Amino acid sequence: MQTEYQTQRLSLRFFMLMLVLFVVQVIYGMILAAQQVDPTILQGWLNFNVARAEHLNLGIMWIVCGFIGAILFVAPLLAKRELVAPWLVKFLFYAVIGIVIWNFFTQFLAERGIAGWWLGQPWLQQGLEYLEAGRIAGLLILVGFLILAFVVLRTFPRVREWNEVHWGLGLGVGALAVVWVFGLFYVARLDLQEYFRWFVVHYWVEGVWEVIHISLIGYFLVLMFKADVKSVGFAVFWGIALVWLSGLIGNAHHYFWIGTPEFWQFWGSLFSALEPLPLVFCFWHIYLDAHTNKRPLENAPAFYFLLGSTVLELVGAGILGFVMTFALTNVWSHGTWVTAGHAHLALFGTFGMLGIAAAYYATPILRKVPQFDPRLGKLGFWLVFTGVLGMAFAFAIGGTVQVYVYRILGLDWFGGDVNRAMGTYKVMLPLFGLVLSTGAGVLAYDLFTLGRRMRPQAAVDAETTPHPATGWRRPLTGFEAGIWLLLMWLFGTIITLGLLSFNLPHVRVAGDPTLPYVLAGVGYPGLLLVTLLFVWRFIASLEARASAPAISPLLRVLPAQG
Amino acid sequence: MSCGSGDSSCEKPRRRAALVLLGLMALIFIALSVFSFLPSRGQATPDTVSFGPYQANDGKRVFQAYNCMGCHTMVGNGAYLGPDLTEVYKHAGPAWLAAFLPSAGGWPTEAAVRAQLLDPNQHAGTGTDTIDAYLQKYPGAAARIQRRGGGTTLMPNLPLSKDEIGQLIAYLKYTSAMNTEGWPPKVEAGTLDRRLQLAHGTVALAQAAPAAAAKPAAASDPAALGAQLVKDYGCVACHASDDKRLVGPGWGGLYESSVSLADGSKVTADDAYLAESIRQPNAKIVAGYPPGVMPAYDTLLKTEEVNAIVAYLHTLEKQ
Ligand code: HEM
Ligand code: HEM
Ligand SMILES: [Fe+2]
Repeated sequence: MQTEYQTQRLSLRFFMLMLVLFVVQVIYGMILAAQQVDPTILQGWLNFNVARAEHLNLGIMWIVCGFIGAILFVAPLLAKRELVAPWLVKFLFYAVIGIVIWNFFTQFLAERGIAGWWLGQPWLQQGLEYLEAGRIAGLLILVGFLILAFVVLRTFPRVREWNEVHWGLGLGVGALAVVWVFGLFYVARLDLQEYFRWFVVHYWVEGVWEVIHISLIGYFLVLMFKADVKSVGFAVFWGIALVWLSGLIGNAHHYFWIGTPEFWQFWGSLFSALEPLPLVFCFWHIYLDAHTNKRPLENAPAFYFLLGSTVLELVGAGILGFVMTFALTNVWSHGTWVTAGHAHLALFGTFGMLGIAAAYYATPILRKVPQFDPRLGKLGFWLVFTGVLGMAFAFAIGGTVQVYVYRILGLDWFGGDVNRAMGTYKVMLPLFGLVLSTGAGVLAYDLFTLGRRMRPQAAVDAETTPHPATGWRRPLTGFEAGIWLLLMWLFGTIITLGLLSFNLPHVRVAGDPTLPYVLAGVGYPGLLLVTLLFVWRFIASLEARASAPAISPLLRVLPAQG
Repeated sequence: MSCGSGDSSCEKPRRRAALVLLGLMALIFIALSVFSFLPSRGQATPDTVSFGPYQANDGKRVFQAYNCMGCHTMVGNGAYLGPDLTEVYKHAGPAWLAAFLPSAGGWPTEAAVRAQLLDPNQHAGTGTDTIDAYLQKYPGAAARIQRRGGGTTLMPNLPLSKDEIGQLIAYLKYTSAMNTEGWPPKVEAGTLDRRLQLAHGTVALAQAAPAAAAKPAAASDPAALGAQLVKDYGCVACHASDDKRLVGPGWGGLYESSVSLADGSKVTADDAYLAESIRQPNAKIVAGYPPGVMPAYDTLLKTEEVNAIVAYLHTLEKQ
């Protein structure tokens, strides 16, 4: 495929910026992980809270850069014309860089307690998790979102001509800006402040970002596998509908303990338990759509990351979110490392990998090197994938120990009691973090130099001889994919039972941690290993496809949409 | 199944039904939200909570300005480097907090908390005036003093002013008063000793009480006694024995040096000045330091004890 529209090239700079910010963000992550082991590291120069603010800020920024890149790349294709106002897009690019640099400096003010109060608002930094940016940066970010929405919506054809992917992206870019506004007010009541903070955080990731994600995944499947637009449209519509039907009230899972009434426990437990549905649905669709044509993979790294994104959305967001979304499990996991395991696997896994997938899809096309060497990309994928799975393991098991020591035993001395118990997992975190960071470096290097490096001929030849499609590489059937899915949920159930078991008098009163430890010790490694094996299996079957016998059309479980 | 999913005549009404359902859910959500913040619910609000002259409303701004949530959780949200702060006021009380926050790098000793109780705001806020009554009322403070008192923490010293500390205490009082539907869950696993045993397999109490441990019989040498006193009374949480600035000025080489005061004048740090700075630290404020951070030790220390501390200060070199 070639670049069809000149303005698609504008996406490239956002992908490159994404990679730079990604690398800087994981460096901050490594600092945080080191400080978790020894909080005196860099204390006084770069306190944990400042490094964490930057880590979160950059995490959001690079993911948004990935979205912007992907959307700018597909918008002209969807609109069948050039982007309007390319100069605005260029301005947006420099504005993002400006905001990142501004945040870098203003976050340090937290060490001196300077928020920049004026007119009742904190203009420089505001010390709220995920919304650390002060009002100046916040307003600029709003302008950035408005620019993006303007460019996309003006480029798109008239609403009457929209299909589901237009709707998904159109609603997505609009809602991105609308939801952000809830974070732009200082709220004096703690309960009300948390209420609105979750409007931004929850409705972004579990409302807007998921919608953009489903739409982009759907469209990339159309581009990569020539999947049927109608069938993808069906998936996109019902994916979005399920996301909102479950996620709208599902926000209540953040309202259990912030000072809002008890009835949220009922609504939150019920509706947010349904939030994995669209993710299972999307997961299933990538299975179906990846099998609509039987040709070998053209762009392996792009597909690896697309698959990783969908699978980790199911596992990291869907399953690890599910396990702690009930009031009876959340009461234990809340405020511990258990949540951070979910945060990393879900945020990086789902949205980070989507941005990288889009970059891998677009860069060879824009640089006109369709025959690029995919090996570094594949290596990078396996590094970040295993790295983030390992980190989720360290967070989740460390968090389980934390629940026991801190909540069940009520020992609240971190230096003396809690850290001592969590020690092993605190050390494990930077080790897996290093794997992820190495992967980030490899990916950034590969994408920066892609098309500018010489390609050794021998490698090309080695690659083009596919392995026979037997054994581990045999075609993946719908039945088998279903078994994998069931296994994942089986382990998810075990984890849920583990968190629930903290309620038992035997654990809570008698203080015996065996049951929750065993269930977590089976559940987390089981889930993460199944995830790793499934992705390996899926990829092996696709890579062997050139020599695969044709898969029976019966496997298309859902009928094509008319 | 007369209505296949591929049939657009069926697909349309289905989609419309989904949108209607979504609208219904939005209505439910809005109704629940309105109920959540009705005054009739009786939830604590920051504008009704104060600590002495300090307002919880201002404390919340301080809390955000220092990004406390970047290391701690509050109602469980935030970071996981340090403990949840929702109920720290309820457990440890205002005097312990007032002793801890100016020099968060060190854990307050009993004497440091006692010094805070002299503050009339503390009287009014806690309704207690003896340390025993205070520790009875706030067992969390007793446990902290016993296990950690005099040790170093993992938290950095923050440049909090006296007013900011008061405001933070008011804010933490407000969050303690909030009804959070039973979170954090009550601990039901028995006595502290038993819980420590469960966590570490040993009773860790004795081993982790640096201050409560060996209290040597009063040293005969005044400087040695002074060195012991500055530890017991928690002075070293804020003052370095060299000339480094912590929360307060360092002591190294201070004796007989010339000190610039906030009012522009200069004094020589002789015995009388040093004694006064211990008894009534706010009488003369060193240039560059906010007033009111250090408690007055006038009624806590006997004359010999003040003299012993001064004698100890004589021995400290600048480095
Ligand atoms: C080398 C890789 C990384 C390491 C070592 C790392 C480490 C950490 C650490 C230590 C924390 C603080 C947890 C605490 O408060 O105790 C944290 C928080 C967080 N990080 Fe990372 N991180 C890495 C990569 C990433 C990436 C790639 C993302 C997403 C794009 C990410 C998103 C987050 C989020 C959302 C939080 C807040 C979690 C919560 O509060 O539950 N991190 N990270
Ligand atoms: C003005 C904002 C802050 C307030 C009001 C505050 C308050 C407190 C309090 C009251 C404690 C003792 C809690 C207890 O024992 O139950 C504590 C401990 C702790 N704080 Fe903070 N804190 C603040 C900022 C920070 C920052 C910025 C950091 C990190 C850079 C931090 C890291 C810690 C750690 C690690 C502990 C545990 C210390 C240990 O176990 O040795 N705090 N904090
Ligand atoms: Fe968190």
